[in-house]
Amino acid sequence: MTRRLPLALAALTFAALFATQSGVGFVRDEGYYFEAARSYEQWVLLLLRAPAAALRDTGRYWSLNFEHPGLAKLLFALSHLVFTTWLGWLPDALAFRLPAFAFGALLTYWLAMLAAQRSRPAAVFAPALFWGAERTFFHGHLACFDVPICALTAGVGVAWARAIGILESSPSTVTPPSTLPSTPTPPRRSLFFGFLFGCALAVKHNAWLLPAVLLVHALLLPAELRRRALRTLPWLLLGPIVLFAAWPLLWHDPVRHLSDWVSFHAHHVHYAWYYFGRELRGPPFPIFYPLVLLALVLPLPQVTLFAAAGAKLLWDFAHRALSPLRLLELGLAGAAILPFMLRTTPIFGGIKHWLAFVALLAPEAAHLLAGAAGLASQAGLPRARALGIAAAAALLPGLWQIAHVHPYGTSAYGELAGGVPGAASLGMQRQYWSNNVTAVLPWLNAHAPRGARVFFHEVNPESYRAYQQAGMLRADIQYASGPWDAQYAALQWHREFRDREPETWNAFGTRTPATGFYLDETPQVVVYARPGLPGAP
Amino acid sequence: MEDAAAPARRRSDRARAVPLLAIAALGVCALAFDLTLPLRLPGDADHAEAAAALRVRAGPRDAVQLWPPWAERARMFIRTLPVRTEEDLRAADYPGVERLWLLAMPRAPFARLSRARAGLRERGAIAGEEMRFGGLSLQPWDLRGPRVLSFLTDPREEHEIDYVPRQCMQVRIGPPPDPGTLEARGLGGVLHVRAGIVGERAYQVARGPVRVEVQVDGAPLATLTVPPTVPPEPGWRRIEVAAPSGEHAFAFRVSARDADRPFCLAAWTTAP
Repeated sequence: MTRRLPLALAALTFAALFATQSGVGFVRDEGYYFEAARSYEQWVLLLLRAPAAALRDTGRYWSLNFEHPGLAKLLFALSHLVFTTWLGWLPDALAFRLPAFAFGALLTYWLAMLAAQRSRPAAVFAPALFWGAERTFFHGHLACFDVPICALTAGVGVAWARAIGILESSPSTVTPPSTLPSTPTPPRRSLFFGFLFGCALAVKHNAWLLPAVLLVHALLLPAELRRRALRTLPWLLLGPIVLFAAWPLLWHDPVRHLSDWVSFHAHHVHYAWYYFGRELRGPPFPIFYPLVLLALVLPLPQVTLFAAAGAKLLWDFAHRALSPLRLLELGLAGAAILPFMLRTTPIFGGIKHWLAFVALLAPEAAHLLAGAAGLASQAGLPRARALGIAAAAALLPGLWQIAHVHPYGTSAYGELAGGVPGAASLGMQRQYWSNNVTAVLPWLNAHAPRGARVFFHEVNPESYRAYQQAGMLRADIQYASGPWDAQYAALQWHREFRDREPETWNAFGTRTPATGFYLDETPQVVVYARPGLPGAP
Repeated sequence: MEDAAAPARRRSDRARAVPLLAIAALGVCALAFDLTLPLRLPGDADHAEAAAALRVRAGPRDAVQLWPPWAERARMFIRTLPVRTEEDLRAADYPGVERLWLLAMPRAPFARLSRARAGLRERGAIAGEEMRFGGLSLQPWDLRGPRVLSFLTDPREEHEIDYVPRQCMQVRIGPPPDPGTLEARGLGGVLHVRAGIVGERAYQVARGPVRVEVQVDGAPLATLTVPPTVPPEPGWRRIEVAAPSGEHAFAFRVSARDADRPFCLAAWTTAP
């Protein structure tokens, strides 16, 4: 297959993310990563100016946000250095986010490559099914690690499949094991596979599971392929080298820093999480939590198609009818979600931690969708019309969800939940992080007097500064530490922070909001003003 | 000329279109739900009309209960009445409220308005005539609760307990030898005491219980123990106890080994 179609789809993804980023608020984590990237940028500048000093002082610049490896944040920093500091072309936040859009584009590319092994329509449907929901689309915009690690999981899968010869460059021809070329795989493919695994390792710890998945995959392959796969596995050893190279924090005292990294995630705090009217505070979590959440947040057609894809892969696995490539997709998808069904793994953050599950099911889901259109065309419906109907039915609800909810992606719920208000009635997490505050910033800019003190609740100081630097919040507006200290309060509705609203009523002497951001009637951000101030009711 | 197997072949051909039809039906249903959802929810004009109706019809001993309890956009419009967001209408306290206006979004997904009405009926409330304002429903309920003789705590102060704003006063928790104290004078009758730990610290089970000792004119009357909240047990604890009639000095002495928690208490007396 020519790579023209996947490349075109990747370019489209990048353009779509770029064009729709402006309203996406800075989520809590981004605030930390922006700060880390600024620090790493200073280190890069030092490296260019005084390499010896930079090599000596890695700890000073890189210990910020030690709990995540360096590659993604280094890319955020380099993008900012080039496009903002040197060229002055982009505002700070957009420059930080640019590499995230690139990862989104790469994800599209790799999904299209995987699905193209089934058919050309599947190559288009697979990324469209993944991105055609507000939750996934929203995450594509963030200078965070969730979409990058999702992309790299797919990328490692593609690279592995190419390295062992089960994914070739011609469309719709999955090479059966018996006809595998006897010539050994070109080393550059194995090298690229090892390099990509290193990149994944240097982005997020989800990559720790990949070697085990690939080993199991190798062992389940037919004999000839198994030998080739087992010979390819040692290329994974490139991973730690890439990790070390991409994370200068490890250049001094690596054992301690690696230990800190592992320990942080092995003992990660459990944040309260609202689920069917219960605040989940710690293990044991409901075993099917990740699957149920996916069913509630994604649009109904995607839920159905992904469920059918998972069931079909499992069925074919049970009946030994899976091709090596589909077996790999099943393994990677399973490994992405199974840790969150252990009942002890932290489950906060909506679906972001297991996005790769959705992504790796997308090629099969796309194949089923294209297959339904194909069958209908055999029944006499023109093929183009059948594909058009399939695309419209599967994607329009998701596009509507994006049009309706974006950029407030952490609040999105699908039809099974009854949309955003249905999810509120069911007792589901209303939102997370604090990015929805962008909806009320224009009101604060218009009404708050000069130097007004605003309690921003879940918006951390890093994100607050980012809003000011981006020009989304007036520079004179001050950050208050609580309602007692504030003239205005912008409260983000979280069940576990419910005490903040009565606290604000008592401090301000009013229970009437000055304004608010309500999504389908559900309170998301509620703004209070002390009586007598501009904008107060 | 058509052979004998032709009808079966046509049926088989049509069956091939079933998967696509199923997907199309799913897409249409999903889209129909999405596009009609805003029509089932109230708009600004509906809220304004409901608020105007309340301004005209509600009295000084009335309050508004929102349903579903998350439907708090109504707070922007209702400025003349206390707004309550209780989640269990059968057990909720509405001290001093004679008539409760149930302001609901009956067509919101999973709103379960019938559950709210059943809760009110079970406590003996009598429904009045329902009014509709677009996506809103407004219905008065005569609560028929006992008459309040004295509020011993300020009902204007509110704090969250069990994730519901409660009319209660924050009281310092003291160590057992030096308890935090809230004192008030009021008429005796049936004394209602409610108390709970505010915020997320209510769920920290290692911190141990809080003890509220109730005294009347210096003599012990009752004790309420508020343990850390372990759902489904409530964090908002309650006792009802008979207090001698006539005016008395009430004292509530609050103590715990771990005093570093915000604590909230409400007390009032009603006619027996």
